[in-house]
Amino acid sequence: MAYFLNTLFGSITPMCITALVTMAITLIFKTSFTTNFAQGVISAFGAYVVSSAFAKLGLSLWLSLPIGMLAAMLIAVGVDVLIFRNGRYVNALGKQIITMGLISLVVGVIPLIFGLNDPAFKSFVNGNFTITLSDGSVATVTKNSLVCLALAASVIAVIFILLRFSKWGLSVRATASNEYVAGMMGINTHIVTAISWGLAGALGALAATINASSGTVISGYFMTNYQVYAFLAGILGGFSTFYGPVIAALMIPLANNLVQYIVNVAGKPELTGWSMVIVYAVALVIIFFRPQGIFGKKIARKV
Amino acid sequence: MNKFLSDKYAIPRNNPTKSDKLTNGLLALFKSPVAQILLFTVIMGVIGQLSMEKILPYSWTSAFATTFSYAIAAVGFCLLMGYSGLASLGTGGFIGIGTYSVYYIMAESGLPFLLAVLVAILVAVVIGAIVGFISLRIEGIYLVILTLGLSEILRNLYMVLEDKISFTKSPVILGITITRQLALYVVLVFLAVVMIITSNIINSPTGRAMLAMKNSTAAAQAMGISLMKYRLLAFIICTVYASISGTLLMLVVRNAMASQGTGFYALITSLNILAAVIIGGYKSIWGAVFGSFIMYGLQTVVLNNIKFLAENPVIITFVSGILVIIVVMFYPGGLAQLVLELRVKAKGLRTKMREAKYGKDLG
Repeated sequence: MAYFLNTLFGSITPMCITALVTMAITLIFKTSFTTNFAQGVISAFGAYVVSSAFAKLGLSLWLSLPIGMLAAMLIAVGVDVLIFRNGRYVNALGKQIITMGLISLVVGVIPLIFGLNDPAFKSFVNGNFTITLSDGSVATVTKNSLVCLALAASVIAVIFILLRFSKWGLSVRATASNEYVAGMMGINTHIVTAISWGLAGALGALAATINASSGTVISGYFMTNYQVYAFLAGILGGFSTFYGPVIAALMIPLANNLVQYIVNVAGKPELTGWSMVIVYAVALVIIFFRPQGIFGKKIARKV
Repeated sequence: MNKFLSDKYAIPRNNPTKSDKLTNGLLALFKSPVAQILLFTVIMGVIGQLSMEKILPYSWTSAFATTFSYAIAAVGFCLLMGYSGLASLGTGGFIGIGTYSVYYIMAESGLPFLLAVLVAILVAVVIGAIVGFISLRIEGIYLVILTLGLSEILRNLYMVLEDKISFTKSPVILGITITRQLALYVVLVFLAVVMIITSNIINSPTGRAMLAMKNSTAAAQAMGISLMKYRLLAFIICTVYASISGTLLMLVVRNAMASQGTGFYALITSLNILAAVIIGGYKSIWGAVFGSFIMYGLQTVVLNNIKFLAENPVIITFVSGILVIIVVMFYPGGLAQLVLELRVKAKGLRTKMREAKYGKDLG
């Protein structure tokens, strides 16, 4: 039982990170109609800024975090304003390739600004909570993961509330459903897109900070894994809604850890490495039979 | 159309002499893709030999071998994207098919290298067919993400099977032990074969069917083109080429780690191959080869000679990123389009010069 609880507690941080990255990717997908492959490296850039803010300027991590988010936000908005706004007639594939070019660009810029050393990082809070169960076994949960959970959950909740009830949310949803008609109705789609990119950059930096605070070593590519999860979550949940991808994003790391748990409990620990293969395979089978995603609605077109 | 007619029915003004016939024949030969490809292979072989004898920089051998290994995958991707209109980010995973199949086959059964490559191709055919079936149901960006997921499955599978593999013993082909230097020639032979096959496919009814499918699936089906057949074929060819490319890469590089974020099978390889095809021009196999040179060979062959860039290699990553963005924004046809435009301009210039010399052609 303690082992099961530990599995659940261990999933908290990956779930937060994946949910945040997925939210960012969904926002960009809905307003710019492209998959942002540079999300991972822009997030990593944010984490680098956070790291140098507290290591070199001596700020606390809580103060460094908004600085990093702001930096990533500026980059993302810059990308939208400088590149995507001017390349409106670039087709969908071209947009994707531009974001791929951004990967090399940002990965090349990072060592120029921050040097080649591994950046320092620390947790928000140290220490663990321990829960002693009735059979005497002990489950532990790090305080840091709980702080991350609170951060991620509140940010995502605020975004969903704004999407549902604010005027900005309405304009995002309008742009998502049809950019041209939204423009004709008086919505400034340029600003909507730019805000989505900025928000995505900030969310990415938050996710990268959470990832780094849980002990992962920062590098240019250290968010790529989560980015891949996020894409998969996007089509698994269905890009046609905002909540679908986020729910799927929560499911993927959890499923990964649960498969490892089941495999270990069943007495076959040598299969632990296969957990991600199994999760991906199940996800792909689901997508194969429901191409619109689990929560997606099939859009019927008149022919 | 006009050019075709005029070539065929033009009345010769004066009878061609023997030497004219010879030059015309040579010109026609040079225009055939097979001859161009063979010529290219021979030139690259000579350059490789010179670099092995250290007349040219020694590092060129491995740089060209790596470039052309990746170029094989890029040519397959060119057929998939430029001619069939399907996009995939599975190249990284597909490259691993070749590497791992050949590694296991040679270790387990002791088959000779070429036979092991043949078996690896069969494995690639099966996996390509699976992806092809998926592509019948899922299209566009979704297909891209799905192939990305598939590639990650393969990469995780490689990590579980054996994270780090290395070819410690040089394989023997036709009695010759292939060292890391000699690998360049093997790569060149494979590249020539792959390019000839691909250019034949492009100019055959199969290539035209793929092009029709790319432009409009509905119209293509109305013309009696089976989507299933050609999508499967496109993915199978792409996967097979990628797996050949993976095998050859192992001949050149000798060891690879699957868990590395920047390794052979990671997302970054798929992205680089895609970028190579885009920079080069997605409808030209020469563009694909040149694009892979920019992504993988330019650094060693050209840029490292410039002192500033050799000391700051990150700038190259940075510049290649900018290059990709600029090409996509302003030259969607890639460098191949640039070459084509230059050729048209050169032709116009030549006509003008002739007119200035002899007066306007009234006929």
